[in-house]
Amino acid sequence: APEAIPIKFSEKQQSSHYLYVREHKVREGTKSPWPPKRTLFVLNVPPYCTEECLLRLLSPCGPVQSVELQEKPELAESPKEPPSKFFHPKPVPGFQVAYVLFQKPGSVSAALALKGPLLVSTESHPVRSGVLKWIRDYTDSVPDPEALRVEVDAFMETYDRKIAEEEAKAKEEEGVPDEEDWVKVTRRGRRPVLPRTEAASLRVLERERRKRARKELLNFYAWQHRETKMEHIAQLRKKFEEDKQRIELMRAQRKFRPY
Amino acid sequence: MRTERGLNSSSLKWLMARKRRRPCLPPLGSYSPLPPTGMRSWNHHYMQEALKSPKCQVMESALEGTGKEGKKESLKKRKMAGSPGEGLLQPVKLSRAELYKEPTNEELSRLRETESLFHSSLLRLQVEELLKEVRLSEKKKERIDAFLREVNQRIMRVPSTPETELTNQAWLPDGVQVPIHQVPYTVKGRFHFLPPAQVTVVGSYLLGTCIRPDINVDVALTIPREILQDKDGLNQRYFRKRALYLAHVAHHLAKDPLFGSVRFSYTNGCHLKPSLLLRPHGKDERLVTVRLHPCPPPDFFRPCRLLPSKSNVRSAWYQGQSPSGDGSPEPPTPHYNTWLLQDTALESHVQLLSAVLGSASGLKDGVALLKVWLRQRELDKGLGGFSGFLVSMVVAFLVSTRKIHTTMSGYQVLRSTLQFLASTDLTVNGISLCFSSDPSLPALADFHQAFPVVFLDSSGRLNLCADITTSTYHQVQHEARLSMALLDSKADDGFQLLLMTPKPMIRAFDHIVHLRPLSRLQAACHRLKLWPELQDLGGDYVSAALGPLTTLLEQGLGSRVQLLAHSRPPVSEWDISQEPPKHRDPGVLTLGLLLRPEGLTSVLELGPEADQPEAADFRQFWGSRSELRRFQDGAIREAVVWEAASMAQKRLIPHQVVTHLLALHADIPDTCVHYTGGLLDALIQGLKETSSTGEEALAAAVRCYDDLSRLLWGLDGLPLTVSAVQGAHPVLRYTEVFPPTPVRPAHSFYEQLRERASLLPRPDKPCPAYVEPMTVVCHLEGSGQWPQDAEAIRRVRAAFQLRLAELLTQQHGLPCRATATHTDVLKDGFVFRIRVAYQREPQILKETRSPAGMISLRDTPASLRLERDTRQLPLLTSALHGLQQQHPAFSGVARLAKRWVRAQLLGGELTDESLDLVAAALFLHPEPFSPPSSPQVGFLRFLFLISTFDWKNNPLIVNLNNELTVEEQVEIRSVFLATRAKLPVMVIVTPQDRKSSVWTQDGPSPQILHQLVILAAEALPVLEKQLMDPRGPGDIRTVFRPPLDMYDVLIRLAPRHIPRHRQAVDSPAASFCRGLLSEPGPSSLMPVLGYDPPQLYLAQLREAFGHLALFFYDQHGGEVIGVLWKPTSFQPQPFKVSNTKGRIVVSQGGEPVMVPNVEAILEDFAILGEGLVQAVEARSERWTV
Repeated sequence: APEAIPIKFSEKQQSSHYLYVREHKVREGTKSPWPPKRTLFVLNVPPYCTEECLLRLLSPCGPVQSVELQEKPELAESPKEPPSKFFHPKPVPGFQVAYVLFQKPGSVSAALALKGPLLVSTESHPVRSGVLKWIRDYTDSVPDPEALRVEVDAFMETYDRKIAEEEAKAKEEEGVPDEEDWVKVTRRGRRPVLPRTEAASLRVLERERRKRARKELLNFYAWQHRETKMEHIAQLRKKFEEDKQRIELMRAQRKFRPY
Repeated sequence: MRTERGLNSSSLKWLMARKRRRPCLPPLGSYSPLPPTGMRSWNHHYMQEALKSPKCQVMESALEGTGKEGKKESLKKRKMAGSPGEGLLQPVKLSRAELYKEPTNEELSRLRETESLFHSSLLRLQVEELLKEVRLSEKKKERIDAFLREVNQRIMRVPSTPETELTNQAWLPDGVQVPIHQVPYTVKGRFHFLPPAQVTVVGSYLLGTCIRPDINVDVALTIPREILQDKDGLNQRYFRKRALYLAHVAHHLAKDPLFGSVRFSYTNGCHLKPSLLLRPHGKDERLVTVRLHPCPPPDFFRPCRLLPSKSNVRSAWYQGQSPSGDGSPEPPTPHYNTWLLQDTALESHVQLLSAVLGSASGLKDGVALLKVWLRQRELDKGLGGFSGFLVSMVVAFLVSTRKIHTTMSGYQVLRSTLQFLASTDLTVNGISLCFSSDPSLPALADFHQAFPVVFLDSSGRLNLCADITTSTYHQVQHEARLSMALLDSKADDGFQLLLMTPKPMIRAFDHIVHLRPLSRLQAACHRLKLWPELQDLGGDYVSAALGPLTTLLEQGLGSRVQLLAHSRPPVSEWDISQEPPKHRDPGVLTLGLLLRPEGLTSVLELGPEADQPEAADFRQFWGSRSELRRFQDGAIREAVVWEAASMAQKRLIPHQVVTHLLALHADIPDTCVHYTGGLLDALIQGLKETSSTGEEALAAAVRCYDDLSRLLWGLDGLPLTVSAVQGAHPVLRYTEVFPPTPVRPAHSFYEQLRERASLLPRPDKPCPAYVEPMTVVCHLEGSGQWPQDAEAIRRVRAAFQLRLAELLTQQHGLPCRATATHTDVLKDGFVFRIRVAYQREPQILKETRSPAGMISLRDTPASLRLERDTRQLPLLTSALHGLQQQHPAFSGVARLAKRWVRAQLLGGELTDESLDLVAAALFLHPEPFSPPSSPQVGFLRFLFLISTFDWKNNPLIVNLNNELTVEEQVEIRSVFLATRAKLPVMVIVTPQDRKSSVWTQDGPSPQILHQLVILAAEALPVLEKQLMDPRGPGDIRTVFRPPLDMYDVLIRLAPRHIPRHRQAVDSPAASFCRGLLSEPGPSSLMPVLGYDPPQLYLAQLREAFGHLALFFYDQHGGEVIGVLWKPTSFQPQPFKVSNTKGRIVVSQGGEPVMVPNVEAILEDFAILGEGLVQAVEARSERWTV
């Protein structure tokens, strides 16, 4: 079982939450962005505890390289680009998990031995909550249009370059057979073909079906007549069964008592 | 961990809550505690039970843990009930062999019959079920017959009395009072009692058309000829004898132990004609009521004396004066004559009916259905009601004129009769069952002169509709027309709406007027000079005044009302030892007004030109309110102008009209007129707006939006031009509870961020006023230049947002603020949030590439959200905007409904749009009512709909713009049944959203819906009672206050940081300054937008503790957040990485398990809401281990 470290918002609180900590481990063969020996895995981080806070609280155990708070434990490796603050604003935090990467392996065991209780907000490092926090959040959310513009331009420039490269590459490969002599047919060729989408193939099938239906003769043979009639009766029977069920239900709910 | 009760997982019947009692007992042994007393705790209990099971499907779990016996038992029960899945409809699965087997002759003929006689098999089955329910069973009939035989014997044994003068009533024993008002008392004549010459059963019991619940058997007692004298028909002498006759019978029967109760009543409310009610003793007391009607021997009265033009009450006698001898003719007494005739015709009527209905079971069914129809509409009761007898006679008439055939089914009889009632006008062209061409018979025209509605019986002398007023008849016509429209629309649930939905007055009429006390009507009769009528009606001033008063008001209200109906004085019963009730005893006369929305917009009553002769009439009619006015076309006319500026006031003009006319013409002062029409308006009025219910403010915001969209269309310099601007905010569909007002911020109240032209809230001040930007979606012209990558599209959109802000500021000087997703614009004090949309973006978000390289479209959460916000929401908004133009009351109804749901703290669980759609359904599918024209009646129907709709088995189809055909609706229903399990609990279908019910996808949960249903079912009767109380409604906000005792924790908030504090149901006397100016100041700074601390707090709470508890709050100024723990999450769990959130490890039986860390969480509530939270009250100890 993991170690439990009590954590409180400040001195004033009576009872505390518990951080459940253990050394970060990964299964054989899986890759993890955090090196196993030096990373502390923390569960149940309270919503008011920020990354800076955790860094401050754990630095007595040894120098901390990075702290990352996440909603859920991350199993696979993910691309680590810093998310844009304009396009991916931080969600409202709940209880989170944290990966704390120390500079030295020994710090992990020191952290596991912490007794606490840890205090999130102290006089020297007050943490804002409630009204003060919301006012600060609101202030932060008032955007700077210039910064946004710069970011958008930079992104689009990279994007355009990427697209241009891809196109150039596609053009180069156009009509060139691969090693098994297959030629890739694209929409750009001289005779454009249907795009390979589900909708397009459904459309083709539908057109075929309609063509066939047009040629069919209805109520031509005697057996067709018979079948249509039978179909009608079957429909009525089905409806009748449905209705009976409905009535049964309504009766159970006493829906037939007009008083 | 849990309490005893908590550990049982009892079956959850979340939608059967309408019935207060437990819907169905779970298997024996699984449930021990008694249901707590009192509704509130009952709810709580229910909700707790409900919360234990996350989905409604877990009903199965009720069976777990109980013995096998229980399981068997309940299985058997279910089989018997035959409904699989516990009250949930399932798609029918019939095998091929079953579907396609050869039909038998019997089956074929039944199928054919169904097709030709009923319009669907469902309707047929429903009708059959209903008839089974209202029909008298054979067993009961036998018991009733036995009782009748007993009654007959007892009556024949009543002893005779010696002859006395009529006025000498000393022979009557103590303990019985004469059941008639003997005014004037003196009547010459002699009376003695002899047992009846004949005792005959008459009426619907014999015909087999009497329906439950109140089974009455009418028995006619033929008074022996020896008791009666010549000219008994004159001056009420027959009626006096009749009453004495009954009194004597009553006295003797009351002593008999056979009877549980012996009481008097008035026959059809006519106070000259008492009848005696006998009920059996003991457990059969409710089985039957036998009504004894004395009647004269056959041919006793000379018919020619009883023509409507004859007088049988002498003024000299009635007014107690000696004959004046001035030769003025006696006034005719048509009603008096009719009452005499009615007694003579009892037997002939029953003979006629039995000859017609005889063995035709379809006709009998039809009459029974018609009676149910009348009963649901409250048309059949009281003096002058359209009784079941009358409707039987109408059927007889239709049979005689071949409009109904004896082979018709009950449903067809119902339909044909309604068709007849809807399409004929008996006030102009009366009908007659008499086909003889005897020249001595009076002409129909004679009857039309004496009565408003004419329908003669087979004798040609008796008007069956004599007591019916024009208003009542019009009401019947109106109902018949509505019902015909419903039947023609082929609605799926026509049966339910036509025959099973009650239409009480308060829910059927837009406005209600109570006149109280009734004694005022006596003065009114004198003022209206109704002396001949009083003489005719034996002094019944209520009946006498009813006709003239309704005519007066109808004339005055004119085009403002569609229909004016009045309540009929109820038929009272009284003990034989009591005096008969007086005319004023019902206490109140209630009028119902069905408004005509198009007539309500005018404040002017245009009269004739001043020099026309009609001008004098106009002046006389309107009295001092009429004044000469010159109009724009130069005409000088008489006119009445009412004071009304806002829509709410215009809706209440009828109030002014009614009080004015009643005071002017009938001497009824306004203290006697209690008008119920705008009592709920206060709940949707803004703080300073006491004269308007917000329609004007909403219209102003919409006008500003229209201006803005014109600016956007004409914008120069955007790379792509704007192709469409669509509103997507409740304000823009007129359903925002409190409409926005132009913001004029006082800068000193705020922090100023000059470089971004914005105002910021200040920590040392109270929370500033709440300003919600109105969302507007802006579509651009199509272009192939857009990138085809989701991330890149977002960047390009952001670039558009920036450019939009720049251009609007440059070209129109509007303060703007752009973010990556929207641009906020401040225009005339309103703030709009413009979101640029790219049509193909949802599609790009949906694209997934299969390994084979095929691109297919799959919905993702992001694509669904985007589609909802940029496509479906604007469509809905414009459709509802259109609805408001058609039905001006829509706004009020939708806002009251939303207000109520939010006040019950459930606003967070139901989306705005879903509530708007439910409100829209009241207008688009009003059957069996007509669309509401006042917020009050609409709100009542909202509560009724919410509390009675079977959400489990039906989608609520809201046919906006009438786009769905009947076939499509059938298709929708069957798809619904097939996919029920995958759909949300509350399914609302619109033409734009036929399958997925987008607005209820994320809630409510079954538990919340169940709670809503219960609350609505509780609120409706309370509110209706308040509104129907003629002494005034009391505290109209009662039903808006939420019950708080069900919550586990209450978080009290500080009003200082609640920006909408003043919107609270009980608006605080004082609140804080919110940084607004009353005068517009020069402001180019963006006000604080969408800053609402309670909402921010709730978002944090839900994110952090949503897995452990539910949070309830009223966003309109609520001062308290209700917290309900989720019992499921309080079950101890083993330690797992995924469920540590907010929990603590404890040892249970030596095993470490995790439970919620409640003490720390309660402290977290205070920490997260520092400054906002005043106190955290834990009210239950249920979480303790």
